[in-house]
Amino acid sequence: MLGYGLRRLLEAILVLWLAATLTFVAMQLTPGDPAQTLLAASGASPAEIARRRAQLGLDDPLPVQYVRYLADLARGDLGVSWLHSRSVGRMILEQLPATAELALAATAFGTLLGVALGLLAALYRETWVDALATGLAVLGLSTPVFWSGLLAMLFFSLYLGWFPSAGGGDLRHLVLPAAVLGFSLSGSVARLVRAQVVEVLRQPFVLAALARGLPLRRILLFHVLRPAIGPAVTVIALQLGFLLSGAVVTESVFARQGLGRLAVQAIFWRDLPVVRGMVLVGAAAYLLTSLLADLLQAWLDPRLRGRDEG
Amino acid sequence: MRRLLIFLLLVVALATGCTPRPGGRIVYGLTLAPSGIDPHINASSELGIPLTSVYDTLVYQDPKTGEFVPGLARQWEVSEDGRVYTFYLRRGVKFHDGTPFNAEAVRFNLERITNPDLASQKARFMLGPYERTEVVDEYTVRIVLKEPFAPLLDSLSQVYLAMASPTAVQKWGNEYQLHQVGTGPFVFVEYIPGARLLLRRNPDYAWGPPVYQHKTAQLEEIEFRFFTDPATRSPALESGEADVMGEIPPQDAARLRGNPDFRIEPVAIPGVSLMLFMNTNRPPLDDLRVRQAILFGTDRRAIISAVFRDTSPMACGPLTAVTFGYNPRVCEFYPYNPDQAAALLEEAGWKDTDGDGVRDKAGQSLTLDFYLMGWGYLPEIGSLITDQWARLGVRVNSQKVSYPEALAIAKESRHHLMPFSLSSSDPDIMSRFFHSQGGFNWSKVNDPEMDGWLEEAARLSDRDRRADLYSKVQFRVMENALVIPIRDYVNLNGVNNRVQGLRFDAQGWFPWLIDVVLAQ
Amino acid sequence: MKRSLRRPEQNVLERALRALAIPPLQAISPRRPLVRQPLALFSLLWLAVIALGAALAPYLAPAGPLATDPSHSVLPPSPGRWLGTDFLGRDVLARLLWGGRWTLRMGIEALALAVGLGLPLGLVAGSRGGSLDALLMRLVDAWLSFPSLLLAMAVVAALGPGLSSVAVAVGLAAAAPYARVARGTARGIRAQPYIDAARAVGASPWRIILRHILPNAAPVLVAFAATQLGWVLLHGAALNFLGLGVPPGTPEWGAMLAEGRAYLRDAPWAVVAPGVSLTLTVLAANIIGDRLGQE
Repeated sequence: MLGYGLRRLLEAILVLWLAATLTFVAMQLTPGDPAQTLLAASGASPAEIARRRAQLGLDDPLPVQYVRYLADLARGDLGVSWLHSRSVGRMILEQLPATAELALAATAFGTLLGVALGLLAALYRETWVDALATGLAVLGLSTPVFWSGLLAMLFFSLYLGWFPSAGGGDLRHLVLPAAVLGFSLSGSVARLVRAQVVEVLRQPFVLAALARGLPLRRILLFHVLRPAIGPAVTVIALQLGFLLSGAVVTESVFARQGLGRLAVQAIFWRDLPVVRGMVLVGAAAYLLTSLLADLLQAWLDPRLRGRDEG
Repeated sequence: MRRLLIFLLLVVALATGCTPRPGGRIVYGLTLAPSGIDPHINASSELGIPLTSVYDTLVYQDPKTGEFVPGLARQWEVSEDGRVYTFYLRRGVKFHDGTPFNAEAVRFNLERITNPDLASQKARFMLGPYERTEVVDEYTVRIVLKEPFAPLLDSLSQVYLAMASPTAVQKWGNEYQLHQVGTGPFVFVEYIPGARLLLRRNPDYAWGPPVYQHKTAQLEEIEFRFFTDPATRSPALESGEADVMGEIPPQDAARLRGNPDFRIEPVAIPGVSLMLFMNTNRPPLDDLRVRQAILFGTDRRAIISAVFRDTSPMACGPLTAVTFGYNPRVCEFYPYNPDQAAALLEEAGWKDTDGDGVRDKAGQSLTLDFYLMGWGYLPEIGSLITDQWARLGVRVNSQKVSYPEALAIAKESRHHLMPFSLSSSDPDIMSRFFHSQGGFNWSKVNDPEMDGWLEEAARLSDRDRRADLYSKVQFRVMENALVIPIRDYVNLNGVNNRVQGLRFDAQGWFPWLIDVVLAQ
Repeated sequence: MKRSLRRPEQNVLERALRALAIPPLQAISPRRPLVRQPLALFSLLWLAVIALGAALAPYLAPAGPLATDPSHSVLPPSPGRWLGTDFLGRDVLARLLWGGRWTLRMGIEALALAVGLGLPLGLVAGSRGGSLDALLMRLVDAWLSFPSLLLAMAVVAALGPGLSSVAVAVGLAAAAPYARVARGTARGIRAQPYIDAARAVGASPWRIILRHILPNAAPVLVAFAATQLGWVLLHGAALNFLGLGVPPGTPEWGAMLAEGRAYLRDAPWAVVAPGVSLTLTVLAANIIGDRLGQE
């Protein structure tokens, strides 16, 4: 167990290093000078811009910048945002609760809806139930959130007045964004569940369980859904990981706090310290969720336990 | 007679039924994701909207007349050579945390702004050739410049050079922007980044400038929230999430105007207009005839009408119509004339020899690279222009880029066309775009005579002489067809009719919240 | 003690199932040929319609897709302007037809890249397990942690402007999730007894992957590929929403959704048409994918 934990820790460091390096390279590749971006519109002279460049450490040779970038990351020093002039760590922590709240709510809703739709579609495959459920799932995964969000806002907020259209802070503000986001996530979950359940239904053991007279609910849950949910768990974990680093479109549409807007703004302004911090958040989110997914899958399907990392 | 007058006044007051009454709170919608809100450090115009009412500045500018009136400085003198400004400060002014305001505070603020460690993104550069600040006595302070700089008073009237409490700045250090302390009519209560900013009335405020209509703030509390998505601004206003909302899209403005509960308050913003810069260094735009042809061949009125539904006036030249120094005669240039455009292109040797609809010359087709940013209706404008010029036989390759990319492209002179605009109440902003050393010289112009005009105008304090010089600059820019002016920026504020008294300062963006009242 | 048979269930779900009188848990009956299944048939027809519309767009479209006409903007559908005009006066039907080309190209290019990269990566990782799996999946984790907006900007900067660059950027972003799902599926199959049997018989790892794991993973992988089609098209649209993406005016359906969104209350037909087309296309791909995956 300890060996497994240690192994995952080492891998986590590897992931962090890879992600940080990719980010560094990408930022160098994208055109645009951070110092000029910050100062050009204010009328700074080329000399002043050059001075700011040096101050930001951008004049140092690339290997030096890279080593310093990694060293800071290793120390946990996320530095100061070039754009906001505030501590990056503090900025991220401020936005984290709102992001986590939306991520968890949307994932929960999306999972429940997706599993329900997928299961129905598979059980009643080739019938109108399948068509409807699959259609709904596909609607979810082919409708952009910036669209469904606006529609939901216009209908439920402006027209019906049931929910607020902007902001955060309490449950009422969470309903619309979580529902819209969750709906768009439910699509892929539904499709995967459907595909896997159909596969499982081919197996003879289901018929055998039915013949044994086991209650339907038990069959559905343990014999059908449990083996079928594997790939769906992967996708749910992926989605959760993605949402934990922010959902910029939802945040923009519903005027919510969140890491998504922070990250996009940092990328647009070439604010390297914040981008680096966000990659850290992303890496942590994916490592956590992929660990959870692996554990969950092993628990669901005992045949998987002890087969990989040994 | 007097009794009759009073009686009539009472009748009128009762008849209108809308009696403004102090107190109450509003929600004010901001539209940009704020990038840090320390006015001395950050450059976003968004921060100025709440903070202009948290701070006072040394001087204020009257938006109607353009003249500078006393603020925290009750009087000032400028030396003969224009390099030394002496300010005589008001007495009895206190910061929200009790610290007294005096010359030492002014020096502290200016030294903070000009300290390289602060890494100011805007305020520092608004001071121009600043050299130092001297404290003459407790209520007299002197600002010394290396050379005369006419826009100094204009800079000092803006929130970026406002006076912050030295005590608070020293106490909070890096996190000062979350705990700002000024002398203004509203107190900064809290700021939750990305979520909201809260202001509360300052009951002790007693030193407002003459441009304020009230002695103290009328509202009790103002909450600011951030609506970065344009499509959600009107719904937020209509559903009551916000009482005031800036930058309402033109198509929504029409709908709000028809709604009796709301009104649109358009504010024209001074500065340079939204223009397409033509790169005069890159063929085929190095040929004046081609540039002029393009100007004649663009139906700018149709573009304005289509995209902005007549909420924005068409721009005639590099300055917007409300900017000091704007010369209306610049509108005589380049009326829409597609025939003349075609004639000019033919004269320049561009004819469609291979019948593909695009003009060519010596084997090269007339193709222009157009880089534009994804905001501000630029994609729509780009689409319309592409289509209009296609009829002229000019092909356009357009591409959406981010702002840093645009800067890099301009530096490498890779563009043919690129749009931009900046707001400013001082026409010296044109130096950035049309001076050969300007940071935004995207037309790649190098005109020593025009350089001279711009430099001289930046030094002179005589407004009439400055206006003269800026007229010359505007005409030269249009004669040489350096830009295609598209529109003057007009900020469409959507306001719930229960909110009255909303007025904006000389910059156009920043409201004077002290005068806002709720009607009942 | 064993429970008695046929105990009456109070569970709502069960009552509903029984009420519908459809025995849901029967084994799957022999497949009817693809063309005999109505859903699949409609899907094929729809895809054919779009492909045809895209190919014949120059002849079918009533006007050019880029031809603006501001004096006739936001007109509702009427004879001659069957789908109305958008906020710049462009004919929506023309843009829809031409848009088929761009959308299909974007979708196919991006998807091909995503599957081409993600499938082998994930399959090998999940089938082999051990250190190779760990290494490859950590690579994927790093790739996922990397903001896709930054990826898109870097790719477009490297490859130059245009639809294909956006497709490459989106495809690369989609490859990582695909690899993960492929790995998860392969891992699940690898645990099956018949894989052990194959290994015991001495089958080489490649043979196991290709002949045993891949065919069994096919249904899920094809289904996921079909959902990824929707994902890549939406991701392209999101880039447009953020201010980047395809060149302005390109009638790609996702771009039309992003562009026309600001005018939703004025010209809903300008977004409904591309939105419905997008959904139907993704739906068709999904239905066909289901059937194909089970062959």
